[in-house]
Amino acid sequence: MNALAFAWRSLVRQPARAILGVLGVAAVGALLFDMLLLSQGLITSMRDLLERSGWDIRVAATELPGRSGRLTGATAMAERIAALPSAKSVLIVRTADARIERSSGRPIDATFQGVARRSREGASITPPWTVTRGRDARGSDEAVIDTTIAEAAGVDVGGRITLRASCSADREALPPARLTVVGIAEFPFAGPNEAALGGSLETLRSACGGNAADDADLLLVTSAGESRETAAAIREAVPGVHALTNDDVVGRLQQTGFTYFRQISAVLTAVTVTFAVLLISVLLTVSVNQRLGEIAALRALGFSRSRVVADVLSESALIVGLGGLLSLPLGVALASGLDRILKGMPGIPADLHFFVFEGTALAVHLGLLAATALIAALYPMRIVSSLPIAATLRNEVIG
Amino acid sequence: MTPAWLSRVALAVLLSAAMAAAQDAPPEVLISRQLAAEQGLTVGSIVQLAVDAEGTRARSFRVAGIYEPTPDPARLGAAPREVRLHLPDLLDLTRPPDVPAGAEYIGNINVALVDPADAAAFSRDVNARMPGVIARPSTEAAGSAGPFRVLERFHLAIAVVTIVAATVFLLALTIMLVDERRETVGILRLIGLPARRVLVQVLIEGLIVAGAGAAFGLVLALLSEGLINAFFQWRYDTALVFVRITRDVALTSAAIAVPLGASATVLASWALLRRSGLRLARR
Repeated sequence: MNALAFAWRSLVRQPARAILGVLGVAAVGALLFDMLLLSQGLITSMRDLLERSGWDIRVAATELPGRSGRLTGATAMAERIAALPSAKSVLIVRTADARIERSSGRPIDATFQGVARRSREGASITPPWTVTRGRDARGSDEAVIDTTIAEAAGVDVGGRITLRASCSADREALPPARLTVVGIAEFPFAGPNEAALGGSLETLRSACGGNAADDADLLLVTSAGESRETAAAIREAVPGVHALTNDDVVGRLQQTGFTYFRQISAVLTAVTVTFAVLLISVLLTVSVNQRLGEIAALRALGFSRSRVVADVLSESALIVGLGGLLSLPLGVALASGLDRILKGMPGIPADLHFFVFEGTALAVHLGLLAATALIAALYPMRIVSSLPIAATLRNEVIG
Repeated sequence: MTPAWLSRVALAVLLSAAMAAAQDAPPEVLISRQLAAEQGLTVGSIVQLAVDAEGTRARSFRVAGIYEPTPDPARLGAAPREVRLHLPDLLDLTRPPDVPAGAEYIGNINVALVDPADAAAFSRDVNARMPGVIARPSTEAAGSAGPFRVLERFHLAIAVVTIVAATVFLLALTIMLVDERRETVGILRLIGLPARRVLVQVLIEGLIVAGAGAAFGLVLALLSEGLINAFFQWRYDTALVFVRITRDVALTSAAIAVPLGASATVLASWALLRRSGLRLARR
């Protein structure tokens, strides 16, 4: 019988402790797996989200688009950028807080995205939303809304909404604007609890009662060639703005706010691995101490020192291996729950995920579990390898 | 004056000690610690502030003090480069040339009430009397605490998983430890101690061990509290406190750990105590 089969029988002989050991490793392993997914998940997801949007460069007043600060003189700025040979198209994006009236109940708080396009002839321009039903907003009294607004306000394509938008202060008392809903759209950068609607910049300004200055939160640029070179050309053409490629945005996010999750993931990874090593080590040590007589008898029967050491290592490998296997589905389920919790953070787009599966995370997970099995078995292996056969047997008989 | 207000002012900060003598008592400003460190500013330095990077309508100000910005969880990782001006100075600086003085608007007015408990009633009163103005109690307006509330829920979920894993391991360990003492328990039963009496003894032992473990854990947490805070405060250059072991946290931890440890011991002993003394004492 090989060492693995022998270790299996040892575990089966004491099912309660074996099952509990495996379940313990599964729970710790699930947490470990999730922390590995968290360490790079947000960055991977953000990169994917930015690349899917179809825009190469984001021009903003601050380093991280979306944070406070607006671009002034946005129309002229967009035209200057669109005139660059390396720029294919430019989209001016201005957001405003909006309150959509309902026939009954509280108004719906929403974010209104107003866009204006500037492009070279023939270049297509993607809005920062995806129309799923109906068509995109074109006229000055048209808008596309997301499903949250559609359901809450009870309107569909062809219906009309009444809203009050605010472009300057937090809240203003403005006359209501009536818009026709021409499409239902998804807003990938809107938060999970955020209601959003989109339309032309002209529509937004008119909804704001003409109070909106010629400013923008963001200019989205599609480059005709290499995005890094286009970004440099934009910085040269429009001094004082931040023109960031998708890689730049991801890099800045890595260096700033989202590093918290990398740090917490590193800390929790270290804690869970240490926890697992300590507990499996204690389990194996107590188990080996209870079977010293049995192990000495096996040695006396002819089992070599390396063979009994291999038995202990196999036992550790079986507990960690089975627990590790269970930890994968558990980890995926746990990651889904934790992702839902973290996406409750204000300003996090609904399509952004904190936990993203990656092959490297799985490889690191397996590597760490293998190291755990080995390190946890070191002390009990030392006990069985240095076991004095005669003295142990004598103690067992007279003890 | 809120950071949002201040951030709308594009700042061109130029240190010029020589200008101090040339200016007649320029207005005073406060500079955030991070900006002061970055630009090498000290109390008494003269700085120039303008509404844009080109230095349009730049004015000189004297640094009257350096302050620690109120930590903002929503801006974690971004060094707050802020300047605080007296409101009239800010309006003078930012007012477009074609706008007459007094025609500017402000974002927020913070009101301190004699009795903070009146906040809701005061807000309702203001909303009723001043159409177009929205008054909210500051507890409702504290949107910036949102990320922390989410992180709190996230950490709670992690803690629950850790407790589940620890409980499973604890049960496995106690089963093994109780099994190791089966002979002792058998002898105690044989000399006449009833199972209930042995169970009480096991429970007391479990409580002592769990209590000692919880106390050790709390001491470890208290010792690491400072280290964790120091690390994250250094990492993010903030005064935010990341870990705080409060009395409630300590009591909650003890309230979970001690009964859990004692229950695991009793649960593991229960199966053993149902056997007869002879069976337990038999080798």
